[in-house]
Amino acid sequence: MDYNSNLESYVRQWAEKQPDKTAVICDSETITYGQLWQQVTEHSRDYQQAEGRAVVIRSTQSIFFLVQYFAAHLAGKAFVPLEENCTDARLSSIQHEVNACSIPGNVADILYTTGTTGQQKGIMISHKAIMADAGNLISAMQFAEDLLFIISGPLNHIGSLSKIWPTVMAGATLCITPGMKDMNQFLNAFQLPYPKIATFLVPASIRMLLLFARKELCSISDKIDFIETGAAPMPQADMEALCLLLPHARLYNTYASTETGIICTHNYNSDYCVAGCLGRPMPHSSVFITPEGYVACKGDTLMEGYVGDEGLTRNVLHNGTLFTSDCGRIDEQGRLHLTGRIGDIINIGGYKVNPIVVEDVALSFPAVSDCICTPSPHPVLGTVLRLYIVPQSGSEVDKKELSAFLQKKLEQYMIPQFFSIVDHIERTFNGKLNRKYYLTGIK
Amino acid sequence: MVDLESDFLFSDLDSLGVTTILMTLSAEYGIELEAKDATPKNLKTLDSIVAMVEEKLKVKSEE
Repeated sequence: MDYNSNLESYVRQWAEKQPDKTAVICDSETITYGQLWQQVTEHSRDYQQAEGRAVVIRSTQSIFFLVQYFAAHLAGKAFVPLEENCTDARLSSIQHEVNACSIPGNVADILYTTGTTGQQKGIMISHKAIMADAGNLISAMQFAEDLLFIISGPLNHIGSLSKIWPTVMAGATLCITPGMKDMNQFLNAFQLPYPKIATFLVPASIRMLLLFARKELCSISDKIDFIETGAAPMPQADMEALCLLLPHARLYNTYASTETGIICTHNYNSDYCVAGCLGRPMPHSSVFITPEGYVACKGDTLMEGYVGDEGLTRNVLHNGTLFTSDCGRIDEQGRLHLTGRIGDIINIGGYKVNPIVVEDVALSFPAVSDCICTPSPHPVLGTVLRLYIVPQSGSEVDKKELSAFLQKKLEQYMIPQFFSIVDHIERTFNGKLNRKYYLTGIK
Repeated sequence: MVDLESDFLFSDLDSLGVTTILMTLSAEYGIELEAKDATPKNLKTLDSIVAMVEEKLKVKSEE
């Protein structure tokens, strides 16, 4: 593997060596490496003519997304995939932001996420980081040419996007499904005629399958080469249940983020099945714990920085080290264990939500006088958002109207699942929102 | 929030919505719902969900 190259060179390589090999399957549509490369080169000519350094698009779970992805890179553009239901206003705002900034020439992707800092920022990922991430995953999980990798999550999220990289580098086949809303469509993908099938699932998706598809998981058990999880903590009970259902599969729990790249992983379908254990660093990465107890990462997978914000970048990235907000420890075997997270960021099934963002929008709703957005337990997602609301004097808050209002201004994963009308919000002695109060059980 | 009166309920739902419906119905009616029940057809409208639950209750009573 040539880690100094780029991903597109591998698409071209496989198009030359195995033009008729299936590259991507999506619904009833398939495309070979030869066809993919042809479409990529044609599309890249359009991007070369387009103004600006970046290509900003709404992601779709489709073969065309991949054509756009590789074509943008080939044309020397940075690729900026936004969520599928992104509003015109948000797309326009981000287009404006990236066009106004200087984007280094080595930047391949800009992914917008809340991430470590709690603010929605564009995170720049270089071609070198992509190759290093791909190399890490290939080395750790043994991606091979005869593998079918099923992607069911949103392609604008690092968890799913990063699986394109090792699959293409290894000359394997991708299968894109539209998400876990229709579990049957996801499970049917395992009937495709491939000797080895793997996938990435966030813990919430695994919980859904454990709740509703145990029989189906059993029936496809022998076909599953490996399942990787990450983005959010996975409960011990779910890990053990999955190990029992899939005794022959490798089951990985991975430590990664948009800012750090893919860092550590651990096969918990082994004699060491412990929640919070994310394993040892992969070949192109290293990790250590700061004196304050936070996880810090080094290596070729780190982000280039936050687009247009050198100050914010310097806060978390300096001396070749990315300082995260995750609390952790390294055990005597060199395995990383996560023990928590500082700050108020709420992890919703892998998406990081800054509650202040939700509260700010909610406070702009006329009938809301005060509010606080808190994590709330959920039997599948683990954690969802609850918004406690104090209505304006003499007003009533219509929850449906408020939810619809929030949906116009926030991304879907930031919309609270629960709304509670209360007569006051708990604050600390100095008037700040008392978030700890709302963490101690159901209020 | 999802419009339960919609004729396109399934398309308005996300995976959390589907899961919530399945879990709520399972708990409320004491029926076992599985992935194979959570089809776009069964969850298309409120009426189709009602029909699915009635079918499950009928099977349960016959057992």
